[in-house]
Amino acid sequence: MTDIIRRNNVKVVGKGTQPMLLAHGFGCDQNMWRFIVPAFSDDFRIVLFDYVGSGKSDLGAYDAERYSKLDGYAQDILDICHALDLRDTVFVGHSVSSMIGILAAKREPDLFERMILIGPSPRYVNDPPYVGGFERKDIEGLLETMEKNYIGWANFLGPVVMQNPDRPELTAELTESFCSTDPVIARRFAEATFLADNRSDLAGLKVPALILQCADDLIAPRAVGDFVHHSLAQSTFQQMKATGHCPHLSHPDETIQLMREYLQAPVPA
Amino acid sequence: MEGLIDQIPCGFLSFADDGQILRVNPRLMERLGYQREEVEGRPFESLMNVGSRIFYQTHLFPLIAMRGRADEIFLLLRASNGEDVGFLLNAVRRERDGRTVNDCALMPVEERRKFEDALVRAKKAAEAAQEELEEANRRYEEQAVELELQQEELQTQRTIAEDANQAKSKFLAVMSHELRTPLNAIGGYTQLIEMGVHGPVTEEQRTALDRIRRSQLHLLRLINDVLNLSRIEAGRVDYNITDVALEEVLKTVLPMVEPQLAAKGITSRTVMDQAPIVRTDREKLEQITLNLLTNAAKFTPVGGSVTVRVRRCADVEDRVCLEVEDTGIGIPPEMQKDIFEPFVQVSADNRSEGSGLGLAISRELARGMDADLTVKSVAGQGSVFTVLLPVR
Repeated sequence: MTDIIRRNNVKVVGKGTQPMLLAHGFGCDQNMWRFIVPAFSDDFRIVLFDYVGSGKSDLGAYDAERYSKLDGYAQDILDICHALDLRDTVFVGHSVSSMIGILAAKREPDLFERMILIGPSPRYVNDPPYVGGFERKDIEGLLETMEKNYIGWANFLGPVVMQNPDRPELTAELTESFCSTDPVIARRFAEATFLADNRSDLAGLKVPALILQCADDLIAPRAVGDFVHHSLAQSTFQQMKATGHCPHLSHPDETIQLMREYLQAPVPA
Repeated sequence: MEGLIDQIPCGFLSFADDGQILRVNPRLMERLGYQREEVEGRPFESLMNVGSRIFYQTHLFPLIAMRGRADEIFLLLRASNGEDVGFLLNAVRRERDGRTVNDCALMPVEERRKFEDALVRAKKAAEAAQEELEEANRRYEEQAVELELQQEELQTQRTIAEDANQAKSKFLAVMSHELRTPLNAIGGYTQLIEMGVHGPVTEEQRTALDRIRRSQLHLLRLINDVLNLSRIEAGRVDYNITDVALEEVLKTVLPMVEPQLAAKGITSRTVMDQAPIVRTDREKLEQITLNLLTNAAKFTPVGGSVTVRVRRCADVEDRVCLEVEDTGIGIPPEMQKDIFEPFVQVSADNRSEGSGLGLAISRELARGMDADLTVKSVAGQGSVFTVLLPVR
């Protein structure tokens, strides 16, 4: 158990008993929940973590094969649930974590009471008539931009970090800059996220879910939110006023209010 | 202050948390080819190329929102002419006029970008090369495994071949023995008829009986040779190694071939610069020497010569060379390694005179007692057969 806690940099806060597991998205770490946590810490036992390869997770636990697919990340969720013996969990996933949470809940539905999915997308690349919002070359553009932003780290500091485990300040600097200490891992996470096709995994989810759909969300456009809503039998669709892709950072008040409304209502049948 | 922002030598852009552009400066508009009125009020990400938009949503905006600032972020902004322009962005998040704003300084990095692009390309090339190297490594490892398997297979086949050879030798030994018994009977009864035991023998009958007798003897010799060779190959020959004076060996063997040599007018001589003692099986060495001398007599034409030479080997330590040199037909180079194989003869004309096993037997015997048998020959001029013997 302590292995998982350390591996995923798990933090538990709050005075409640029902667990609320907050799963960050690609490119971020658990810090992105900082505006949300205070609003629920009286009523929930809030569990925060970093996926292996993100934030302050244990890079030594990174397994390229396992994390080349979202299923490997879903296993992180299940590992944490088992390590902390979480039951009736409210799972809150941002962006790619929506799909990761669905994959986890498909495998062990009994662990979850309901799910809140912020900006979910089962497939980012268009596949006519399905509209994901991107072409393959756009994803390559992202990988290129990432590479350019990691270039200093990757080419100069990166190897220094790898070779100087005794100089944690280098790793820390990198972590705080991009929530990921390793450009190679970040690239693989990007590929696992943006080149995945999990549309067929939506069917048969037994856990009720709330879809929070931002306005003008480039990453997960409205059409994708509709697709997810129609594919998930027990889903509730909520259009937000918040624009962009990170409403919990840009519009925390609206995000908290919609989450609260959903959680205060009885669990949908 | 307001005027300063319009005059600083870098781009400036301020946006709200919902992404809306609040303010830009002329320098940025100049580089991108837009009018200020065109972009203010639009979402910041609409100015970016698509890859950078995703990066903005997944990395940059969360970073600014979480840390309150971002430093040296590379972004591609899309100019009005469709060109993607690289910028380095520094951002700070602050409260102004009762709202949260994100102020960004944007520095075009066109020249630096060229270097960075080259760096990225070089890195990719290096990675590809490394992958290729790893792939090659994997292939070599696979080949090594395959080679090992082949070696095992070879070993198995060698064992099978050795077993088969053993079986063959055993078979030949048994068969030869079975053949000798009736052949001896043929020889015995022929002799009895020749002696007139069963009544008078006519001249024609005597000629026929003589032919039967010669054929019987030839067949018996052949079978004896086969039997010997198979015994040797089956490792069923015992060697009685003692100190042997070569002089004594020659004294025993030379008289045995003298009649043959004399019949063809072949001159023979013995050259022995010392009288060495060797470690060997005397009987077997006599057999080898007799075989070599018989061959020399057989293959040397009328009026030729045969020389027996005993000397220290020049190129091998602790060995004595017993050489039998003739002025015979010689052996062509391509046949020299084959003549020690069973049933090989140099001249097809002489097929009837021997079994073709003599040299094979001689070499097997030599090798069986820590000696060796080699040949040097020039076709048409003669041959030198050498027995290398361990000296005492």
